[in-house]
Amino acid sequence: MSDMLISSNEKENKMKLASKITRPVNWNKIEDPIDLEVWNRLTSNFWLPEKVPLANDIPSWATLRPDEQVLTMRVFTGLTLLDTIQGTVGAITLIPDALTMHEEAVYTNISFMESVHAKSYSSIFSTLCATTDIDDAFRWSEENVNLQRKAEIVLNYYHGDNPLKRKVASTLLESFLFYSGFYLPMYWSSRAKLTNTADLIRLIIRDEAVHGYYVGYKFQKGMERESPAYRAEIKAYAYDLLLELYENEIKYTADLYDPHGLTEDVKHFLHYNANKALMNLGFEALFPHETTQVNPAIMSALSPNADENHDFFSGSGSSYVIGKHEATKDEDWEF
Amino acid sequence: MEKPKDSTYSYHELNAMLNLYGPDGKIQFDKDRQAARQYFLEHVNKNTVFFHNLKERLDYLVEGEYYEKELLDKYSFEFITKIHDYAYSFKFRFDTFLGAFKFYTSYALKTFDGNRYLERFEDRIVMTALLLAEGDEQRAMTLVAEIISGRFQPATPTFLNSGKAQRGELVSCFLLRTEDNMESIARSINSSLQLSKRGGGVALLLTNIRESGAPIKKIEGQSSGVIPVMKMLEDAFSYANQLGARQGAGAVYLNAHHPDILKFLDTKRENADEKVRIKSLSLGVVIPDITLDLARKNEDMYLFSPYDVEKVYGVAMSDICITEKYQEMVDDARIRKAKISARKLFETIAELQFESGYPYIVYEDTVNRENPIAGRINMSNLCSEILQVNTPTTYNEDLSYNKVGKDISCNLGSLNIAKTMDSPNFPLTVETAIRALTAVSDLSNIGSVTSIKQGNDQSHAIGLGQMNLHGYLARERIHYGSEEGVDFTNIYFYTILFHALRASNLIAKERGKTFDGFEKSKYASGEFFNKYIQNEWKPKTAKVTGLFKDSNIAIPTQKDWEQLRDDIKKHGIYNQNLQAVPPTGSISYINNSTSSIHPVASKIEIRKEGKLGRVYYPAPYLTNDNLEYYADAYEVGPEKIIATYAAATQHVDQGLSLTLFFKDTATTRDINKAQITAWKAGIKTIYYIRIRQMALEGTEVSDCVSCML
Repeated sequence: MSDMLISSNEKENKMKLASKITRPVNWNKIEDPIDLEVWNRLTSNFWLPEKVPLANDIPSWATLRPDEQVLTMRVFTGLTLLDTIQGTVGAITLIPDALTMHEEAVYTNISFMESVHAKSYSSIFSTLCATTDIDDAFRWSEENVNLQRKAEIVLNYYHGDNPLKRKVASTLLESFLFYSGFYLPMYWSSRAKLTNTADLIRLIIRDEAVHGYYVGYKFQKGMERESPAYRAEIKAYAYDLLLELYENEIKYTADLYDPHGLTEDVKHFLHYNANKALMNLGFEALFPHETTQVNPAIMSALSPNADENHDFFSGSGSSYVIGKHEATKDEDWEF
Repeated sequence: MEKPKDSTYSYHELNAMLNLYGPDGKIQFDKDRQAARQYFLEHVNKNTVFFHNLKERLDYLVEGEYYEKELLDKYSFEFITKIHDYAYSFKFRFDTFLGAFKFYTSYALKTFDGNRYLERFEDRIVMTALLLAEGDEQRAMTLVAEIISGRFQPATPTFLNSGKAQRGELVSCFLLRTEDNMESIARSINSSLQLSKRGGGVALLLTNIRESGAPIKKIEGQSSGVIPVMKMLEDAFSYANQLGARQGAGAVYLNAHHPDILKFLDTKRENADEKVRIKSLSLGVVIPDITLDLARKNEDMYLFSPYDVEKVYGVAMSDICITEKYQEMVDDARIRKAKISARKLFETIAELQFESGYPYIVYEDTVNRENPIAGRINMSNLCSEILQVNTPTTYNEDLSYNKVGKDISCNLGSLNIAKTMDSPNFPLTVETAIRALTAVSDLSNIGSVTSIKQGNDQSHAIGLGQMNLHGYLARERIHYGSEEGVDFTNIYFYTILFHALRASNLIAKERGKTFDGFEKSKYASGEFFNKYIQNEWKPKTAKVTGLFKDSNIAIPTQKDWEQLRDDIKKHGIYNQNLQAVPPTGSISYINNSTSSIHPVASKIEIRKEGKLGRVYYPAPYLTNDNLEYYADAYEVGPEKIIATYAAATQHVDQGLSLTLFFKDTATTRDINKAQITAWKAGIKTIYYIRIRQMALEGTEVSDCVSCML
């Protein structure tokens, strides 16, 4: 980081630490309406893995070839690792940087849900696979150089002292790094395999989409307060980091998907999501249009809207939300 | 693993493109048609077993124990050849990818290893027609024409199983009473296993089971109530499935005045404890009028111990009308009671519906007022369209039957409204459907559950359903739920009822036999016909008058009804129940229909099912030029759906699966208001509540049709 340029966010941060006044969060005084909107969305989207009848996927799991099962388990251990980082380190390191107290509250929610996600993969494992297979997959994730490198890069920036850079790292993680893993359950579900698992993953995607959007939005807010020169530096940094992660991600993707001939298809998906992450940060797309043509079956399966029409006998779907309570009034009961 | 190709798209990808706008900003209908073609080229044709001729094929299938020999033996080979040729002469093609995909994935006969197809669509229809015609060649030919033209579509269990040697039952749907004793509870579990194994959805009535904390053998605080029974049932259903073809599915119904009602609802909470959480069992609440009345006055409602109620009245709680006896039971010191706020109950129901879509609702008093059959209706089924009377069964200590009561089964089949309106012979279309459904009842012999067998033998109940209402209305450029839309629905169902009764009367006359208890019904007394004889029913709008005229369909007159009443008084009707309008999931895709009489869920529907994965389905008759007539269910809103269903309900003896659709801006109050509106409009049951949450701005997938339309 350049010594010459000190960001105003950092200054404020240091002042905040110095003053140490504890204020209660007042939700009746909203400084940024997006905080409330996102809070409401996140809380109404609350879910737990127990609601998805994963056991219904057991027969389908058995139809996967052994190498396909191994691939699936590896993908999920990779995702578990990312969600663990995000839940225990990522979202929490964003809290001290928050511009509003409501923003802090939103990060605590994000952090909690990331831990729910991390636990969800364990539910998938324990439902579908034997313990020895799970252990093997976890060992693979600990030993895979590219996966470990991915974790290392992100963790480094979380541990750094620049709030904007932390947000860049977080947005790239939420909006980009997860998707090499998300590809597979979407691929399976488009071929009528592991559809309940895909429901659960879609719930996770639904959350991650909001997380990435929100952190990116807060990043843009932070950028607005900076000098043009500093903004340029951060922007250059964001593209550098994306490319560093991208290069590593391509190798990781190849490790996973080469034996199955899917790597090229996953790459298109990665390009699409990398552009999306940049969009969340308020930057222009990096990858040209032709290289972001995602397989339509995956693309359509991604939609975070809760509007699919499922038959209730196969599962509860990924569409239900916690409702807003409002008591009926006397006039409603006139008959 | 299938590798995606660079140059050509696979059928899954082509189908998914239906959900993404083309470069010109229009919906890519042609991609779906290409997907259907590609599916045949890439998959079906390559995986279909080839036979040189029909004889070779049938011999192979009979020897291999794929087809039932006894069925084919009822017809000459010459006729079987003729009917196959006839079926193939229609040159049938699937209209959508999903239609073809669904048929081959879920219905077509496959080799035992599951790898190769042994049937095409035409073959499945021929086998169904041969079975349901019961040896009558002319009827078999008529049935082939009705099914392949898309006018009549038997329900999944019938269409899936007909003629197969290894198969489940032809009947879809079972309803069982559970009484307040261990023998009955044990029987219910056993029956659920037996019926699930044979492919049915099973609903159980839990109203009569004593509440948690009730005494057992006079010792207080002993009973654990309905929740553990639900847990056992849930496990039973997940254990049994129909040869893997369908998962076992069950529903449980409880009266709103049962003391466990809140615990019952809480099993579906998002944060429910694992010990009480119910994942896959469907819930229904039976609501008498008194509950709504107490809520109107914002008073508390009393909950009554079924154990005490049965001791006091000598009959189970489900067999008394709570509305009628409410005050009497409140005043009776022998009946233990608890109280909760009536409005609070409705709010809790709505909260749960937000979180899970459940519970279903049965408006018990409406149902019984409209019931033409002697006896009491106290529950519904897995899809909330079956409404029939039942009686309790008693058991001996070793679980053998002491007194066999009457439980309910119902077989279904639906008419495609658009195709039926195009029928060259509307009365014959209805009659053929009624005869086919009657044949299913005659052929069914559920020996594993004696009370079901008894019920079917006595009642021959069937459920003729309808689908593709929205598709038809849109094709005719009528908006769903508009004045013309409701007018059409009324007159269509009115006309269907007439011909359904006429057909059942014809069968009774031919066989000299009616259902048991006909003489005590409102058909026999003639009371049923009053509303049709005393009032004139005809279209209110010129548009609807024109539609019936152009289709050459005569709308029955008061005179016609008088004649029918006299015929029925004289000869009776064969079927205790005739109509029930199911939600029609799978079969409406094969048949290229919109589901049931609902509005479409989306112009391009995203369909997720265990066996299919995620696939995309364009609404029937939808083009880039008539999009305005395809407002989806969330845009249409509950009022218009309720008005449409109310128009149909008045002509349907059983129920209609009515789903209500809300945007996520709705509150529990909006749901409660819709429930009150529905009750006031005479709706009998409410099926699911569906909530649609759109993606937060900034997080949606770009160019996605189902997100943006």
